[in-house]
Amino acid sequence: MKTAALHTLHVDMDAFYASVEVRDNPDLAGKPVCVGGPAAGRGVISAASYEARTFGVHSAMPTSVAQRLCPNLVILPPDFERYTEASRQIMSVFQSYTPLVEPLSLDEAFLDVAGCERLHGDAIKIGRAIKRDILRETALVASVGIAPSKFLAKLASDLDKPDGFRVIQPDEVRAVIDPLPVSKIFGVGERTAKRLAAMGIATVGDLASRSHEEVVKEFGASGAWIHDLAHGKDARRVNPRREEKSHGCERTFAEDVNDQDELRVYLLQFSEEVAFGLRGKGLRGRTVTLKVRYPDFKTVTRTKSLSAATNLGPRIYSVARELLERVRPGPMRLVGIQVSNLEDVRVPTQTTLFGELDSAGDDERAEWQAATKKLERATAGIDKLRRKFGKGAVVSGSLLGRPVPRGRDQ
Amino acid sequence: MKVLCDREKLREGLAIVNNVVPARSPKPILENVRVIVNDSSLQLIGTDLEVSVRYSIDDVKVGDPGVTVIPARVALDFIRDLTSETVTIDTNDNVCTITGGADSCELVTMDADEYPVTPTFEDKDTLTLQGGTFTRLVGQTAFAAAREAGRYAMHGVLITVQDDNLQMVATDGRRLALSSTPVQDVPADIPPAIVPTKGLQMFCRVIEDPLSNIKIKFGTNQIGMKTKHAEIFARLIDGDYPRYSEVIPTECKNSVEANTQMIERKLRLVANVTGDEARAVRLQITPGQMEFFGHSVGRGEAHAMMEIDYKGEGSDIAFNPDYVLDGMKNAERETVRLEFNDKTSPGKFSLGENYIYIVMPITVDV
Repeated sequence: MKTAALHTLHVDMDAFYASVEVRDNPDLAGKPVCVGGPAAGRGVISAASYEARTFGVHSAMPTSVAQRLCPNLVILPPDFERYTEASRQIMSVFQSYTPLVEPLSLDEAFLDVAGCERLHGDAIKIGRAIKRDILRETALVASVGIAPSKFLAKLASDLDKPDGFRVIQPDEVRAVIDPLPVSKIFGVGERTAKRLAAMGIATVGDLASRSHEEVVKEFGASGAWIHDLAHGKDARRVNPRREEKSHGCERTFAEDVNDQDELRVYLLQFSEEVAFGLRGKGLRGRTVTLKVRYPDFKTVTRTKSLSAATNLGPRIYSVARELLERVRPGPMRLVGIQVSNLEDVRVPTQTTLFGELDSAGDDERAEWQAATKKLERATAGIDKLRRKFGKGAVVSGSLLGRPVPRGRDQ
Repeated sequence: MKVLCDREKLREGLAIVNNVVPARSPKPILENVRVIVNDSSLQLIGTDLEVSVRYSIDDVKVGDPGVTVIPARVALDFIRDLTSETVTIDTNDNVCTITGGADSCELVTMDADEYPVTPTFEDKDTLTLQGGTFTRLVGQTAFAAAREAGRYAMHGVLITVQDDNLQMVATDGRRLALSSTPVQDVPADIPPAIVPTKGLQMFCRVIEDPLSNIKIKFGTNQIGMKTKHAEIFARLIDGDYPRYSEVIPTECKNSVEANTQMIERKLRLVANVTGDEARAVRLQITPGQMEFFGHSVGRGEAHAMMEIDYKGEGSDIAFNPDYVLDGMKNAERETVRLEFNDKTSPGKFSLGENYIYIVMPITVDV
């Protein structure tokens, strides 16, 4: 194995959503702040400031629980447009140092700075500069981890949070990771940690001291993976063009929804949202999945594939609607749709003689084709308006007056 | 039942029947061949309920007329591996004995009454044409029929007879092949027939002499064909065939004539460098020359050039090279003509006097 050089960075913003809120409203500084859905609406916390965290509040916690832990908690509704704006600035800071940026979410990315030394200095120098630039450009604080691999870089940024800057040199890897609990290993969740504990493995060092065979025997392929990571082996490279596998949008309702018409309006809204996202990324998808959760938390999905990939909201919606007919009707706690089987719109397309509808008559086919072409043209125009005046600038009539959905709902 | 016949003829007959007989069927009796011996001939019958074949062997010595049903595959394998000139088939109770020289086997028979009734060819109201013509038309079209996906009706070849013209059309929705031939003494009111590709291939398989005539009988739900030794029936596909005539371009802005072999060669050359999943070769036509261009993200790109007699404006269009080559293989002429309007509309290849091939282009959204 090639000796790993120090060139992988992991940059992660501290309490990103909450920090943006505090930045834009200085009165909140020093108070326990979090961003999330209202307790009355069964919302969950999506980000908590460090002040809130001292009360035990953390993300993914139901808002009602968070309020019990911290009665003075300031709960703010998420404003994704501002977060996206900040994210854009942060990503462009990354891009100014290296083209090898692999975003993991709005506020987190891996960077590979190999080969940038002559331009910007070594990884440590670049890490410091990025931290400084982000603060200057966005007034937000980032934690930076620098290490020989992705796994270690992510670990490093986490070790020193908030306002962290941590370097793990190749020769200190063992000393740093050995005492850490196994749960710090990417891929070791609660259940795996329990099974490892039963084997007498509590720390990364414990895991590393076991033989590869033993761990593989117990956990199969994922055993090989976590054993490698425990040894600091992580051959994954920073991939700036990580292929997206799916695009989706779902929502847990404040109150269970039983009305089919209302459910359909949600589906239309999600279809438009997902389609807009796909178009923004130059993708289109062939498979539509509907997800439904009933009040008893039973979750079902239904899937249908189209004969041609699409990124048009109405086309996705018509499939979603059809899929809704195929699930048991009744009050629903959550609905969501996902489009997968994605391809780049620039992929050459084999055109067809008779259109895409397999079961319809020829007239219907021709009409469908013409309608799709028209829809494509209209959508391109609408997208322009949306980019200029905001997503809510042009919506279908049935969505008028509804708030613009915001990715994964609280 | 007892009969003596030439081993090679029997083997050939059984081989043909076995093309239809399913290797495994939910109805086990279909895995058998029905053997009928009458006063002067031996008939072998096989069916999968979609296609049935009746194959006759003359010059047999009949000891005892009768009927039996025996395992088709086993009978073929055994008779193929015998070395004798002749074979005797002899049934006794539930056992059928096949003897060739000093070698023999005894096969378990099934109840002949259980075997499904298969149609018999009637000579009334039939269409007559040369076997070779029929085979040519099938070869020029059947390859374009849909195989797995697509509308069920497109899984067959549409055969129509109109104005003393027999026409075959096949399409999978991405390309379409149409070939026709003049015919004489056409019976009145022949309905269009969508014939499963498998049935047509069986038809062609039994045409021994391209110059001798065959007879075709069009029915409402089946089509029959008769050659000297065989009768084949195929159940028609029930469904609406796409209205193909509307997608065949009539007037085109661009028209190029070029040497068939040269196009084939250049296409194949450039196609070597195109990707697996999205194979496309772009044809760029300018006065005097046609340029072929293919590329793939992982491999690189390729160019090829040929001179053509063309004076119009420059234009280009991209096709899946495999589709174009499928048609070129069947071209009847040294020079073919390609016509198209623009890069998103169908390309029309004229490959013979009565043979056209439409290929839909590959487009790229930018």
